[in-house]
Amino acid sequence: MNRNKYKILIIEDEENIRNFVRAVLQAHGYQVLCAEKGEDGRMLFESHGPDLVILDLGLPDMDGIQFIKDVREKSKAPILVLSARSNEMDKVQALDLGANDYVTKPFGTAELEARIRSALRNSSRYGNPGSVQPGRGSKGKLEIDYDARRVFVEGREVKLTQTEYNIVVFLVGKTGKVMTYAEIIQEIWGWNGPGSIKKLQVNMANIRKKIGERPGDARFIHNELGVGYRISVEEENHY
Amino acid sequence: MEWKERGCDILKTSILMVGALGSSLFIQKQFKTQFLIPMILALAVILVSLLTQGYVYGIVSSLCSVLCLNYAFTFPFFRFNFSIPENMFSAVLMLSLTLITSTLTVKLRRQEKERAEIEKERMRANLLRAVSHDLRTPLTTIYGSSSALIEDYGKLTEEQHIELLEGIREDAQWLIRMVENLLSITRIGGADVKLITTSVVLEELVDSVLVKFRKGFPNQAVEVSLPEEFVCILVDPVLIQQVLGNLLENAVLHAKGMTRLSLNIYRKDGQVIFEVADNGIGIPPELLGNIFTGYHSQRGMNSGMYYGMPFGYEKRDVPVDNQKKSMGIGLSVCATIIKAHGGEITVENLPKGGALFRFAVEECG
Repeated sequence: MNRNKYKILIIEDEENIRNFVRAVLQAHGYQVLCAEKGEDGRMLFESHGPDLVILDLGLPDMDGIQFIKDVREKSKAPILVLSARSNEMDKVQALDLGANDYVTKPFGTAELEARIRSALRNSSRYGNPGSVQPGRGSKGKLEIDYDARRVFVEGREVKLTQTEYNIVVFLVGKTGKVMTYAEIIQEIWGWNGPGSIKKLQVNMANIRKKIGERPGDARFIHNELGVGYRISVEEENHY
Repeated sequence: MEWKERGCDILKTSILMVGALGSSLFIQKQFKTQFLIPMILALAVILVSLLTQGYVYGIVSSLCSVLCLNYAFTFPFFRFNFSIPENMFSAVLMLSLTLITSTLTVKLRRQEKERAEIEKERMRANLLRAVSHDLRTPLTTIYGSSSALIEDYGKLTEEQHIELLEGIREDAQWLIRMVENLLSITRIGGADVKLITTSVVLEELVDSVLVKFRKGFPNQAVEVSLPEEFVCILVDPVLIQQVLGNLLENAVLHAKGMTRLSLNIYRKDGQVIFEVADNGIGIPPELLGNIFTGYHSQRGMNSGMYYGMPFGYEKRDVPVDNQKKSMGIGLSVCATIIKAHGGEITVENLPKGGALFRFAVEECG
């Protein structure tokens, strides 16, 4: 069971939630550190250097957003945010500041575990096989020939426009992380004006169609309604 | 909204006054008599006071009538004359007429508003009672099963452990769905409607709904058909997801004998039509009329307020005290959300069996 020795820090003020998350993670062979308050969390983060942080945004002693900011100044360890359904703006803000993903409360343990695996696998600390690099690379069913700027799905080439190709490469480079509309638009077009989101959505619709993703059955591009997109190679639809 | 109402009031006032003055002029010319004219003008002023908000329009139109009466319809004709006491007297009469009518109208409107407020409050209380009852059953399971597990862990077989835990999980999931519905209701049911409408890509919305649905019901396939082209709709995405989720879930939980569940979406006249259909046993005809009204159709009942009432599909062959799987709230939430979007949700039984729920939302340009 102990094949992975990833260290995970949980910062959550609800004791019951902390307990069950810890139980699940320990059962899956992770090393788990727990903090009830943001300040304790920060100290544990400094002293232990965890591989991943699970962070509740509503902490009693400090704003979770502030914690993300502080961590991002010195570390790239993935941060998984636990959020309530009503706080759409908080989610986007957390993601824009560098959080990798979010899980909405209440969540199932299978879902949480899948997100953790996905974030760890693509954590830059352990090499990022999907980042833009010369040669060829593959992510799940997708294969990218970076030199020739060509994309293949299950061995068959798909014809993407320049913009579509750029989006795919950018998202693949950030596999496992939710990229907000603003982040993608900034990267692809360099500026964010009225109608930008729609332009992105149209491009995404074309990409989905071309690589054969059907609504409800998308295994590769996960859309986070009102927030952004995430590329995943985990079988997250199968809890 | 306010300036629109104001414009409407101004329009009503002008039409009534012009009409009254026009007919007065006509009568004066045709019948050579003046005694009908004050009555026509008084009628116009009363109508204005009745049909508009507040006092302003009534007073303006009564002043206007007095001036016209003075100018056009009393001797000397087509000249103002304020020296005749009779004219001043008619002005006072006209004004008091206006004030009395306006006061009565305003009072009436206030009473109506109060009554609506009381009705809303009563509905909210009923909902609260229904919900509290609904919450008690799953909580009993969760509390009881977990206590049993802790206290008698060693005495129970492993099979029993799993059975109890499954009960806990199932009822907790039910509670989650219930709470999501309540959150949606409170967002709409407040003093003013808080829809956060944005332009949503249809395909992405459907994807999110299906992904979520599959988490809850991994073994139920949904046949989906939607337009090939890129379509955006103007909706509150969280709430519309809730509607579609509720409808799909309702079919799974209550359409007995269902083998096919379909979600069919198409465009029609600038609208996007959503249809959720199943081929189960359909809805008993006597429930078709009030399937969406759920809790609010029951008036002033005692603690058993919604026992055996049409609460969705679910009431048939469910024992009276086993109400926890009721979808009444789910379907009323659907109706409330669609209504807040300016549409209507309908249901019909299909000739080949099963039920079809349909609603439409605006496409955005």
